[in-house]
Amino acid sequence: MKRGYLYTVLFMVVLSAVFTFALAASYEGFKPAIEQNAALQQERAVLYAFGLEEGLSDDEATRKYDEVIRDGGLNGMEVPVYEESGQVMGYALPFEGAGLWGTIRGYLGLNAALNQATGLVFTEQNETPGLGGRIEEPQYKEQFRGLPITKGIPIRYGDNQGEQLDAVTGATQTSSAMLRILNNALDGVFAGEVD
Amino acid sequence: MAEKPREIIKRNLFTDNQVLRQILGICSSLAVTNTMRNSLVMGIGLSFVTALSSLTLSAMRNIIPHRIRMLVQTLVIAAYVIFLDLLLKAYLPDISKQLGPYVGLIITNCIIMGRAEAYAQQNPPVAAMLDGLFAGLGYTLVLMIISLIREVMGFGSVFGINVNFLNLQTWTIMIMPPAAFFIIGGLIWGLTARAQRRARKEGKA
Repeated sequence: MKRGYLYTVLFMVVLSAVFTFALAASYEGFKPAIEQNAALQQERAVLYAFGLEEGLSDDEATRKYDEVIRDGGLNGMEVPVYEESGQVMGYALPFEGAGLWGTIRGYLGLNAALNQATGLVFTEQNETPGLGGRIEEPQYKEQFRGLPITKGIPIRYGDNQGEQLDAVTGATQTSSAMLRILNNALDGVFAGEVD
Repeated sequence: MAEKPREIIKRNLFTDNQVLRQILGICSSLAVTNTMRNSLVMGIGLSFVTALSSLTLSAMRNIIPHRIRMLVQTLVIAAYVIFLDLLLKAYLPDISKQLGPYVGLIITNCIIMGRAEAYAQQNPPVAAMLDGLFAGLGYTLVLMIISLIREVMGFGSVFGINVNFLNLQTWTIMIMPPAAFFIIGGLIWGLTARAQRRARKEGKA
């Protein structure tokens, strides 16, 4: 059967409308679950940066987050602040920068005195799985718990102010990018310091 | 006239496997096969999309204007892939995060459009759906074989569970995409050699 141009155009228009509508409807349907997952991931990340996340179920994590984390400021930046009975315990410093393949985002937990890291966590990274991607593994991340931080002295691999800090083997680019990103973020904190 | 389900299954899983015999879907076979978990999710995702898009396109095959059929195919495939992406984000956020951009790239996987062009266009919906589903499962099967080899040698684990009891040195190259090249090459060689041997035997008999 030979069909005219009109049929062809109408067919495509109707079909596009049907599929767009179906997708929009399913997006609306999934939205609450997707947003909840994103919020939970964020909350877990911040808690992890303070070493508070381990072993918590999803509900417990949300409750813990509501209990001890509030939005606050650190030298002019808006950051999540960890408070216990009215006392500031630490800050979750957000960092962001270019890795080898894509943007690396996450938080570096800092203690209240800003002289020690409490933990490192990623919310987004697209490094090579199995190589640079291993910055997500505890072996790398856990090194940052209790890592000494001093204003004006950048974090570095090897002997970092008396503590051993190791890069990821086979992932030099990603490892170097991490130092650059973290030191940038820290510079931002100390630059905004008023004293 | 229509192919029997058993034939569709056998053809897609073995004799005409999409990856090893048709050499389609190679890109993702290199990219996601460094762990078995990723491969499995990718394979299931692709099977889901291929089955549903083949079903839909076959159901519409008599009303799709011939000269815009590829536009229609892309539209249908893209719609299902976006749906799958939403589904993963809502219910399997961890896996969604790990697969990341690969889910969106299912759209460009040649297997889906290949099946739509080569099969769904001429065959009834149920046969087309079976064909799509098993083309996807045939792809999954190959991905699982490749990732088993890569994960065991590269990480010393199976589905993330450590099996490297002797603490042997793992091979970094196995984690990198080139390793999949060698493995796929080896598999294609083996399968082609077998098919040739069989053809020669039949020729003599």
